[in-house]
Amino acid sequence: MHIHKRTFGDWVLDIFVYGFMIVLGLITLLPVIYVFSKSVSSDWALVSGRVNLLPVGFQIDTLVNVVTSHAFSRAFVISVIVTSVGTLLSILVTAITAYPLSKRHLPGISFIMVMFIFTMLFNGGLIPNYLLIRELHLINSLWSLILPAMISVFNMLVIKSYYEGLPEALEESARIDGARSYTILFRIILPLSMPVLATIALFYAVGFWNDYFSPMLYINDPALKTLQLHLRDVVMENDTANAINKSADDLMNMSPESIRAATVVASTVPILLVYPFLQKYFIKGVLIGSVKG
Amino acid sequence: MMKTMNKWIALPAAVSLMLLSACGSNGEGAGNAEKSASAPSTQSPSASEAAKPELKALMRLGPNFEKDPIAAMLEEKTGYKVNYEALPVDKPEDKLNLLIASSEPYDIVSTGGDSSSKAIYADYAKKGALVDLTPLIEKYGKNIKASLSAETLEMAKVDGKIYAIPTRSIESVGTSLMIRKDWLDKLGLQVPTTLDELTAVLKAFKEKDPGGNGAKNIPMAIKGDVPMVDNIVGAFGIVNDWNEVDGKLVPRAMNPSFKDYLSYMSDLYKQGLLDQEFAINKDATVKEKFTNGKAGVIVLHWADIPQIDDALKKNFPDAAYAYIPALASKDGQAGLAQSSGFDRLTFVPKSSKHPEDAIKWIDAKLDPDTFKNMAIGLEGTHHTFKDGNYYPILPIFNDERGSASNYLTGIDEKNYPIYWQARVRKDERLYKGWEALNKQQKPEAFKKNPLGLAPYLPDYSKEDAQLGQMVNDYAVKVIVGAEQLAGFDAFTDQYKKAGGQTSYDEINAWYATVKK
Repeated sequence: MHIHKRTFGDWVLDIFVYGFMIVLGLITLLPVIYVFSKSVSSDWALVSGRVNLLPVGFQIDTLVNVVTSHAFSRAFVISVIVTSVGTLLSILVTAITAYPLSKRHLPGISFIMVMFIFTMLFNGGLIPNYLLIRELHLINSLWSLILPAMISVFNMLVIKSYYEGLPEALEESARIDGARSYTILFRIILPLSMPVLATIALFYAVGFWNDYFSPMLYINDPALKTLQLHLRDVVMENDTANAINKSADDLMNMSPESIRAATVVASTVPILLVYPFLQKYFIKGVLIGSVKG
Repeated sequence: MMKTMNKWIALPAAVSLMLLSACGSNGEGAGNAEKSASAPSTQSPSASEAAKPELKALMRLGPNFEKDPIAAMLEEKTGYKVNYEALPVDKPEDKLNLLIASSEPYDIVSTGGDSSSKAIYADYAKKGALVDLTPLIEKYGKNIKASLSAETLEMAKVDGKIYAIPTRSIESVGTSLMIRKDWLDKLGLQVPTTLDELTAVLKAFKEKDPGGNGAKNIPMAIKGDVPMVDNIVGAFGIVNDWNEVDGKLVPRAMNPSFKDYLSYMSDLYKQGLLDQEFAINKDATVKEKFTNGKAGVIVLHWADIPQIDDALKKNFPDAAYAYIPALASKDGQAGLAQSSGFDRLTFVPKSSKHPEDAIKWIDAKLDPDTFKNMAIGLEGTHHTFKDGNYYPILPIFNDERGSASNYLTGIDEKNYPIYWQARVRKDERLYKGWEALNKQQKPEAFKKNPLGLAPYLPDYSKEDAQLGQMVNDYAVKVIVGAEQLAGFDAFTDQYKKAGGQTSYDEINAWYATVKK
């Protein structure tokens, strides 16, 4: 399909580009491999720093113990619940909100739009948010992680502009056939918008899964810890800045390096497995809205 | 990512504002707490006995409190059901400030016992965020008074009132120099006991290379952020950050002995006896160098011995190691740092709904039998008793009492140090290391941190971290030769101006009252 013959310059450029991308890829890949190797290496090898890229003294016990441990599995289940419930509700509410806002002819619609945009630019800040959650009695409730994050205005705008790109004639013909607004939304618009909804659902899911800050603020009950919170506790345990204040008991109870690595691996793998299957939607998602502002 | 970072920076500042405003409204909250505190006492004791409320406790570290056998045992013995929550491991003080400022109704809150925790505690107490425990201890604290020494309670006072039940830390030596015994044997040398002998041994390690490392041979490795080497500092009389000199407490930077120490260390560095890359060594790097047979001497805490032992024996099956005893200088000076002070502080916030029951619960936990059960379990089940010592029964001891230290809210100060040894005996190697540092040394070598039991000292608390960093940086620079020792007096002046002098005055004003 080449339009013109490849010149020497093209070859040089290709080599340079490929080389650069391979280096970039390795830079991001190597730390992941390193942590994985640590999680399946023996402790003596870790203490004496013999693990570089390949596992030394291969063992799978640590990984198995971490995954089957009560604290990890409970945090994992909590994170799965928050992510699935949160994503479902978020995508539903966001899709429904975006629909009327895509109808420019509705009275007062621009005012309502301004109100949404306003929340994108300004918010009450951390303490007022905390007080609000507390007054709503949502502290130590998983809803505190879901409700405040349910509508992202940015995601809503992406869906809205997708709706606006759908041909007006579709709706008109449905209306002629006697469909009401709800039927049009659920039977015609939403099925047609699957690509954008899948992308936004992914944005939400990744957001809920990776959220560390909200659970750190709002969750005190150890039984409701999310995976990210648990991970942070495990990883920070050995932080040297804290080590000075540690008593001999704390030092004796400290978990070995391989447990930390195994926890990191075990909490990364699920989302890692999901990515390859959903990546095509991500790429489409970037295109959405790029044509029509 | 950026968003999170900004939030982190904003959090402490915003919380301190909030704390101020919360305390304004706390006036009435305080009144309520006192009212509710006095109300139950008018009831008949049997009535309050019958209905023990569920308590809400915020503990320092967060293992699994639910389903924990200790929690179940305590619930049965004290009659109180307790809901345990825990602060995050990362930045616990920020979260604590947030919870206290928003008057979360905790009945028991435990924090660390270091100087920054003491500062937070004193701050809460002064702002009226805590319940005055003095009358409650008087009324319900039979076991508390029997277990905690008067000295301990005195140290917890803020403006003459007790706001916290302190847990004293176990007084023990943690770190010292660990040496490759098999290297010594190979060269026909003895474990050094004086500074001069240490220098000689290091020289022999360098010249004769018993590990066969060639160019990678390291006689002694230390951490880059800890240029004050435990045990060696003892020979110079500067064991702790602050040491007594002629009845006054003097920080290292204002102590002429510090200059001698630096000159000794920089000399070691110049001769190649000290790891040439020590400035970038982390804890893990030092352990790597030791377990890979590259380093002959390192600084090590006895709690780290099992992992070091595993790795070293795997790499060198014939390797042997030993702690170097407190090294004496020419005039016989020697010392090992002994931890002293508070392990944690437990207080009752004003927002507590059951301050009386909180104290009753703490008191019930200090009942001699319950306390012993909590610390080391039951004789025959969790431990055995032989010749005045407690020995753990494994693995049940680890499974059911392994996290006992997380439950402490005050200790039986006479017996706990003995009970606690059962914890060290869970691994023979741990006990050997602990014993070498704590039992086989001359008692006069133990130098307690004189500031461990100091009350909250505002200037010192504020400047301590910054000044400590300054001294460490200077020490590293001198040792590697980037800075000349001739400038020591200028450094002392700089230290004084940076807040060292105010800390010195403040600490010695307090120290004078203790010395009397």
